[in-house]
Amino acid sequence: MVQLRLRPDLAIVVVCIGLYIGSAAQARSPLGGTALSVAVATIAAPAVAVGNAVGAAWQLFWTGQRDLRSTLAELRKLRLESAELRRNNQLLSAEVTALRQGSRLLAAYPSLAERSVLARVIARDLPRTHTLRLDRGSRDGIHVDGPVLGEGGLVGRVDQVLEHSCRVQLLSHPAAAAAAAVAGVQQEALLVGGDQPRLTGLSPYTQVPLDSPILSTGSEGIYPPGLVFGTTLEARNDGLFTVVPVRLAANAAEVTVVLVLAPTVRGAP
Amino acid sequence: MKLAVAFVVALLLQLGLTASHLWWVLPACQPLLLVVVAAARRLDPVGVAWYGLAAGLVSDVLSQRIIGPGGIGGAVAGFVVASVVRRFEMEGPLYWIVGSLLASACSDLTWMLVAATLGVQPDHGLSGVLATVAMTGAAGLAVAAAERALRAWQSPARRRRRVLRRL
Repeated sequence: MVQLRLRPDLAIVVVCIGLYIGSAAQARSPLGGTALSVAVATIAAPAVAVGNAVGAAWQLFWTGQRDLRSTLAELRKLRLESAELRRNNQLLSAEVTALRQGSRLLAAYPSLAERSVLARVIARDLPRTHTLRLDRGSRDGIHVDGPVLGEGGLVGRVDQVLEHSCRVQLLSHPAAAAAAAVAGVQQEALLVGGDQPRLTGLSPYTQVPLDSPILSTGSEGIYPPGLVFGTTLEARNDGLFTVVPVRLAANAAEVTVVLVLAPTVRGAP
Repeated sequence: MKLAVAFVVALLLQLGLTASHLWWVLPACQPLLLVVVAAARRLDPVGVAWYGLAAGLVSDVLSQRIIGPGGIGGAVAGFVVASVVRRFEMEGPLYWIVGSLLASACSDLTWMLVAATLGVQPDHGLSGVLATVAMTGAAGLAVAAAERALRAWQSPARRRRRVLRRL
């Protein structure tokens, strides 16, 4: 018996040549729909099904993730819109409050409405400079020394005017001063500013009723007579004068709309 | 034994990658060639060529083409990969990446050459070859990464750290 021993390297070459010849034969006479192709299809079916299941699951996951991302983006957008609307609402509320305050102010002083300008407070510095900044200036007919009137009473006077804005020196300013009279008291007094505004110039031991209104007299040539500065607190004697602490009528921390009057002509009757 | 199991798994994977719900580029990946690359570590070039021949023939059968050119291509690819890996003593990720790229390129180009000499119209062109090389290379990269992760997980240093943490 002949034993055929073939080296593996030669064997593979021989097998490849055989395959090549077999391939050539297949190329010349192609076979279709054989049992082999049916077997391949049968074997492939479960693997393809698993692949399809994995692919479908991945597609579902991917679609869900995309939906989630778009939903989150929409939520973020809506939150931004909501914040914007809230801000607008606050601004509109502030606007409405200012308009109401302005209309009340005009209704309270109908005789002054013609020669006055309604202005809005755009900035305030009460602790340091005791000033307000208004949104009206020389272009709107504002002049230096124009009295400024709040809803409760006088606030101060204009001390600096720019084209589009002006600055108001409050009655609480240390340099502020105005001629005033207490209702029920004959003498005229001097209202001076400071952390605690007060009336001075009254003769000693003057009886000043508590909570009496303090009105302007107009002697200093700035404030028109008859406007309210505030009310009296408990009077005391200080040297040669009776000093009366004053509670100002207009709270500068809360005033948002003021009426700026035309300055009084000095020396006018 | 491990190679045989890997061969079966790769065969099923190669079948599964043709599923219609998967990304259309995935069928270009040839996991069976990765088994040939894996064989290059353990067998001599002729042994690897036998593995390549088997993988190529199975690929031919699965793709219902003429049975033969794929086997020849696989054998050539296995021999070349094993020779290159031995010549350059490749290890680690480089071994997998170069091996898979080389195996897919050799297999496909040989297949096209054989098909051309037989006068058969190839079922794919150069773009198909490029897709096969790219996807099989990517699969090789993934295997390299997985192997590195497995080695790091099973490393003695990690085991020592775990023991020390328990003390």
